[in-house]
Amino acid sequence: MDKNNDHGLLGLTKQRAILVSPDESLKELLTNIWPEDVIRFELYAKAKGAIEDIFNNPPDLLIIDNRVTDITAAEMARLVKSENVYRQLPVVICFDEDDLVKPWDWNEIEVDDFLIRPFFMPVVRDRINLTLCRALRALDANPLSKLPGNTSIIQRIQSLIDRKQDFALAYCDLDYFKSFNDKYGFSRGDEVLNMTARIIVNTVKSFAGEQTFVGHVGGDDFVVITSPDIVEEACKGIIFSFDGIVPNFYDIEDRKRKSIVSVDRQGVTQTFPLMAISIAVVFNIGGKIKHFGEVSAIAMGLKKKAKENPKSNYVLDRRTP
Amino acid sequence: MSDQDLKTSVKGQILSISDLPTLPSVLDEVTKLVDDPNSSTEQVAKVISKDQVLSAKVLKMVNSPIYGFPGRITTIQHALVLLGLNVIKGIIISTSVFDMIQKAMSGLWEHSLGCALASGAIAKAAGFDDPEEFTVAGLLHDLGKVVTAVQLPELNEAIIMTVKEKNLCYYDAEKVVLGFGHDRINAWLARHWNLPPNVREAMTFHHHPDRAQFYQQTAAVVHVGDFIVRLFEYGNGGDDQISYFKPAAMKILKLKMKDLEPVMDELSDQFVEISGLTF
Repeated sequence: MDKNNDHGLLGLTKQRAILVSPDESLKELLTNIWPEDVIRFELYAKAKGAIEDIFNNPPDLLIIDNRVTDITAAEMARLVKSENVYRQLPVVICFDEDDLVKPWDWNEIEVDDFLIRPFFMPVVRDRINLTLCRALRALDANPLSKLPGNTSIIQRIQSLIDRKQDFALAYCDLDYFKSFNDKYGFSRGDEVLNMTARIIVNTVKSFAGEQTFVGHVGGDDFVVITSPDIVEEACKGIIFSFDGIVPNFYDIEDRKRKSIVSVDRQGVTQTFPLMAISIAVVFNIGGKIKHFGEVSAIAMGLKKKAKENPKSNYVLDRRTP
Repeated sequence: MSDQDLKTSVKGQILSISDLPTLPSVLDEVTKLVDDPNSSTEQVAKVISKDQVLSAKVLKMVNSPIYGFPGRITTIQHALVLLGLNVIKGIIISTSVFDMIQKAMSGLWEHSLGCALASGAIAKAAGFDDPEEFTVAGLLHDLGKVVTAVQLPELNEAIIMTVKEKNLCYYDAEKVVLGFGHDRINAWLARHWNLPPNVREAMTFHHHPDRAQFYQQTAAVVHVGDFIVRLFEYGNGGDDQISYFKPAAMKILKLKMKDLEPVMDELSDQFVEISGLTF
């Protein structure tokens, strides 16, 4: 086992990997690279038992040796990657040189990387490290905006709470986004979300020297974390830009009318204003909040208040600790 | 070469432009601004809005499919908010400066800026919302001439000679040499770069606003703007003639000639103000 922490995976712990291989020397090699509290390997010589384990308790990494005989490595990879709930699981396949005589169809076998015999320890180590880091980045990014998602947002909030660092969290969402989507279709809706993400990121970034974070919870919900000093300015900037730009995303008649007219399922004609952005801001000053759950609970309450106003606006949580 | 072959080859060369240069004055000014961490996007937008090439680059970038909302963004201020100063810095750093004779070009830069100001003033007089969208359309209305000068220097030289020798306006000389005008080149560029439809139609139809499909008003504003800036003899659109004036444009704008008088007064002040600006 690596006693000097020289394995390269700093900051990652408690990763669980499944290795499916009849090759004892490969097991030996892998388990010697990382300490057990960084990557713990579960070893299967055959595919059969492994598959059930993978499905019931998906690991953080799956390494399949092409020498496995009962089910082909390709078939195993396909089993995992064809299910949406498992497909984010990074899969590395191990080859003998002869396996690569003909090219593989990587659209068919959607693995993340491969290793080839004879194994050279530094290459194995860094390939797997890279695969894990890449998978973590890809896993949590919102597929539309590429912003970090819930896991990163929660981690960020909890780490600020743990470090007792003051912060402001602004929870942004769009009013009348649904009616826009219903009328114009989801790809026009996606345009609006991409635009909103850019506005939020650039507005927040424009405060020189401030540590900030923007995450995309999903749909039309975004989260901004900044220092309490600049959050109100940031809200004003976001609202100003959003209100100025959003009319461009409507067709010319709706833009002129400043509303959209649609017919609901009951056949009733309804008029909706142009989209607006509502922002609820929660402060954590002097460590009054102990858990990230409190942050989202307060934000949800404030959001209702912000939403009462059909125009873009922000509400600050002014409760004293 | 047949007319059709010439058109295809010109179109290919026009659209293959990868490095559109500009004149140094605005580029220098904007470089200083983006290097200063205290600059605001408003300041940077105001300066970029004076330069047709930088404005075109910024709009091309923000309207590219990479950002996920092609053809939606018209104004420089909005483009800057959406791109962020980091990307703007990248555009500025990668923009080169004309190394050819600048004199002819600086006249065209002044003409374009003048047309931008005039278009904004006319849009206001006509009571349209968001005059900035008309300003941008005015600024870019002769972009095809710049791209032709860069990509097709020999044909450009032939057009200039034709203007002089036959005493034609630039637009007619283009038709003699190329078989079509910069309005056609504008149309190719605007579509290729996913520019928003109002800017695209104004660039394409500023000589014939009544032919615009959806945005006759924008095309008409730029048509009148082009005419007025030539009346003032501010800058140079490639010839020293007053462009012909289509009365249809005034009809589209629901303006009478006398409504232009306050516009002219306002513009004469503005032109005095910017006359110190040398490209």
